[in-house]
Amino acid sequence: MLSIKLGDISYEDRVQKGVENDFMRQAVASAQGRFRSGRQNQADKWGNWEDWRTLGDEIRTHTLENIDYYLQLLSDNVSKRGGNVFFAQTAEEANHYIQNVVKEKNAKKIVKSKSMVTEEIGMNEALEEVGADVVESDLGEWILQLDEDPPSHIVAPAVHKNKEQVKETFAEKKGYHQSSKPEELAGFAREQLRQEFLSADVGVTGCNFAVAESGAVTFVTNEGNARMVTAIPDTQISVMGMERVVPTYEELDILVSLLTRAAVGQDLTSYVTSITGTCHEGESDGPEEYHLVIVDNGRSSILGTEFQSALHCIRCAACINVCPVYRHVGGHAYGSVYPGPIGAVLTPLLDGYEDHKELPYASSLCGACTEVCPVKIPLHEQLIRHREIIVEQEKKSPKSEQLAMKGFAKWGSNPAAYKMSTAMARSATKPWMKDETITNGPGPLKGWTVNRDFPAPAKQTFRSWFKERQKGGESQ
Amino acid sequence: MRVSLFITCLCDMFSTDVGKNTVEILERVGCVVDFPEEQTCCGQPAYNSGYSTDAKESMKQMMKAFQFSDYVVGPSGSCVGMLKEYPKVFENDLVWREEAKRLSDKSYEITQFLVDVLGVVDVGSTFKGRVTYHPSCHMTRILGVKDAPMKLLKNVKGVDLVELPVKEDCCGFGGTFAVKNSVISGEMVKEKSAHVSETGAEYVVSGDMGCLLNIGGRMTREGKNVKVAHITEILNHH
Amino acid sequence: MTIMNREAFLEHVTANLHRPRRTNGVERPQWSIRPQDEVLKGLSKDELVDVLEEHCKVIHTNFKRTDRDGLAAILKETIEGYKAKAIVASSDSRNEDYGLHDFYQKLKDDGNEVHLWDETNGKENQAFAERADVGITFSDITLAESGTVTLFNNKYNGRSISLMPRTYIAIIPKSTIVPRMTQATKQIHEANQAGDGVASCISFVTGPSNSADIEMNLIVGVHGPVDVTYIMVED
Repeated sequence: MLSIKLGDISYEDRVQKGVENDFMRQAVASAQGRFRSGRQNQADKWGNWEDWRTLGDEIRTHTLENIDYYLQLLSDNVSKRGGNVFFAQTAEEANHYIQNVVKEKNAKKIVKSKSMVTEEIGMNEALEEVGADVVESDLGEWILQLDEDPPSHIVAPAVHKNKEQVKETFAEKKGYHQSSKPEELAGFAREQLRQEFLSADVGVTGCNFAVAESGAVTFVTNEGNARMVTAIPDTQISVMGMERVVPTYEELDILVSLLTRAAVGQDLTSYVTSITGTCHEGESDGPEEYHLVIVDNGRSSILGTEFQSALHCIRCAACINVCPVYRHVGGHAYGSVYPGPIGAVLTPLLDGYEDHKELPYASSLCGACTEVCPVKIPLHEQLIRHREIIVEQEKKSPKSEQLAMKGFAKWGSNPAAYKMSTAMARSATKPWMKDETITNGPGPLKGWTVNRDFPAPAKQTFRSWFKERQKGGESQ
Repeated sequence: MRVSLFITCLCDMFSTDVGKNTVEILERVGCVVDFPEEQTCCGQPAYNSGYSTDAKESMKQMMKAFQFSDYVVGPSGSCVGMLKEYPKVFENDLVWREEAKRLSDKSYEITQFLVDVLGVVDVGSTFKGRVTYHPSCHMTRILGVKDAPMKLLKNVKGVDLVELPVKEDCCGFGGTFAVKNSVISGEMVKEKSAHVSETGAEYVVSGDMGCLLNIGGRMTREGKNVKVAHITEILNHH
Repeated sequence: MTIMNREAFLEHVTANLHRPRRTNGVERPQWSIRPQDEVLKGLSKDELVDVLEEHCKVIHTNFKRTDRDGLAAILKETIEGYKAKAIVASSDSRNEDYGLHDFYQKLKDDGNEVHLWDETNGKENQAFAERADVGITFSDITLAESGTVTLFNNKYNGRSISLMPRTYIAIIPKSTIVPRMTQATKQIHEANQAGDGVASCISFVTGPSNSADIEMNLIVGVHGPVDVTYIMVED
């Protein structure tokens, strides 16, 4: 079954594949450019973006510290409003419950709006196992579903595809005959998906935020598919990661405002839809039966650790949109449902180091992610923490590196050894030197010189210059 | 004012001139510069690679070396940024935590020291040439020094400053990242090199030797006629 | 309704927090800062209307101003502009006040199909909305900063009216305009605290539906309306 981990290709191969995909890189770079300027314009417009971040951080910190209380309140309120609540500790439990709802309803067609947590738990595959047909209704997700390709970005899932590819997919899978103009492609999707909405037995949504004080589950969207999913089928299931809870509507305001700005540079997205339980007496659209599935799937083990603030994440992808590593390799290189800096932090926490130990190193630690995060997750610091765990607890770092670092410790703690080695660096590298540069270095230097030259160590170290100068008096 | 120079291992080994220029600039603005001989490396290469136990050995040596200094000034946003992290690293170490805080509090990157501590924005330098400035990630984001380098560069006589497109993007150095993730790092530095070329600059300037080794190494590999210069070279030119 | 597997789940969560379970007595702290209150602070209603109008350009939404007397004419012009023959509208209590009963009757007399949402009609409401050319509702709270109309969906104002037809018209009484979402959520929060159960669906609608999923090109109109008009009415 699919889960957080995507496929079995090695990290090195995924990176190589990403770097060689020129179209993807161009598309991702251009998307990043737009997302980045959109976010920046919004931050500039308010002029006090840092204050908003501080507030976002405070809200998330308080909520996580009291998450047992808020989840209890949330579930009580959803239940009061006619909804069933299922607490799922694992992906399997969540899928099993959802399968049972679908089987009980004898549902054949499930229409779904965009949701990362359902990708994470592999819900679509679980529903297909019980004979249900799951239709993704977000345009990007639908394209990927038809093409059997996983998302590569958490906000713009099909960012790696071009319109010609979309046209071919539509033609092959759905008999599309029109041009590759985005408007025509979208118009076709509208017609096709409208029929899917109208004929669906069950609707499934994710959840951006759930308001504890009332039980309202809120979706932040632009296309309107989450509204369709929550207005048409009689039975609805919302699936939420347990950290999506907010205390009251007042905090919902702040987090939605941070999300839409940080994600897409909009004051608000076209639709923010907040549904509370089942529809009321006399209402003729909205669900008659409602289920909220609250998923742990490894999240609780992050609580109470130095990684707790990773659960602040509101899935805006601002960190992904500024990440230079993501720009060059694309989302699939991460081999996880969650790509980019937040993916490199979260994936090993949710799915272990064994399959994902390269991810914390897929960062130059430039800190661009940390700088933009609207809820102040110290992403690059958490990547260093991961590396520390991989080295010191998991003992998964290469032996040669361990030896080198032992050497480093000796070198850095012993001034005499340090002085001697800096003084000898030039003569030691002399065999590889040509015209004061090294173009094909030995050992670890090879990784460097494959792409760039390495300078020759200086003829005289600074400290010997300083010493000579002092001997000659300070008058020069 | 007595200032201790923190040379950084990269400058110690690869660029004696950066140290010389830093000393001369500091003396010109009235500081007395000493050089604690026992200093080594800030520990960042090991620390950022996850070897915090090994890194701490080097860090302790640094704290010993600078224990009697009033101010510690270094020509690197990244290495000084690492010193600033010491209190976090030694948070639970009763023996070293005080000293870590003291070293962190008295340490400054050279442009930060000139502008924020001494209030100097003109160091009396003249430099003829077209220059573009690459703000290193650790200078701006870890250390939080965003304006000081440009304030100083703008007051250099004769300099033709051109803005580097998407200057805030990482050059791909990242210490061991450049070796460990050499493919990705290589793509990042190619992009940076292309942005430098767009400016038509003769010099690309930065406050961090790591970035300069990386960008410069890429540009000589591409056969480009652009020189790299540490910011102190521009600020100490007549 | 049922809550399943809660105790085991929350006990497990609590164990990771290394403290006893909290089942009551948790208060929200006073947040150290409230930047949301500073947005468009102190603006008059007229100034907020100007902000709203300006923002409509950003969200690809037509903006018209009128008063109660002029509403029927503007509505007619907009509906005709949309070449709409089948109209679905909420059976809002404000219809009477704003003279819309007469207006809708006249539309019918002129040969249009007009359907007012009717709680006794069940699924027929949605079926009509699905083939309607235009949907019309009032805004309950209007957010100037983002150009958003807030709809409390209920048995008089179905979710589908503002969603399924190709075009949508929101009538915005001037008195409903507030600076931003902060004022709307405060109102909802207070109503909830007072025990007035919140609507089963609250829709914050900001212009037409859109997508940028194909090569980041903005496509206006995906699943929801492709064209939206706001009519601001002096009240």
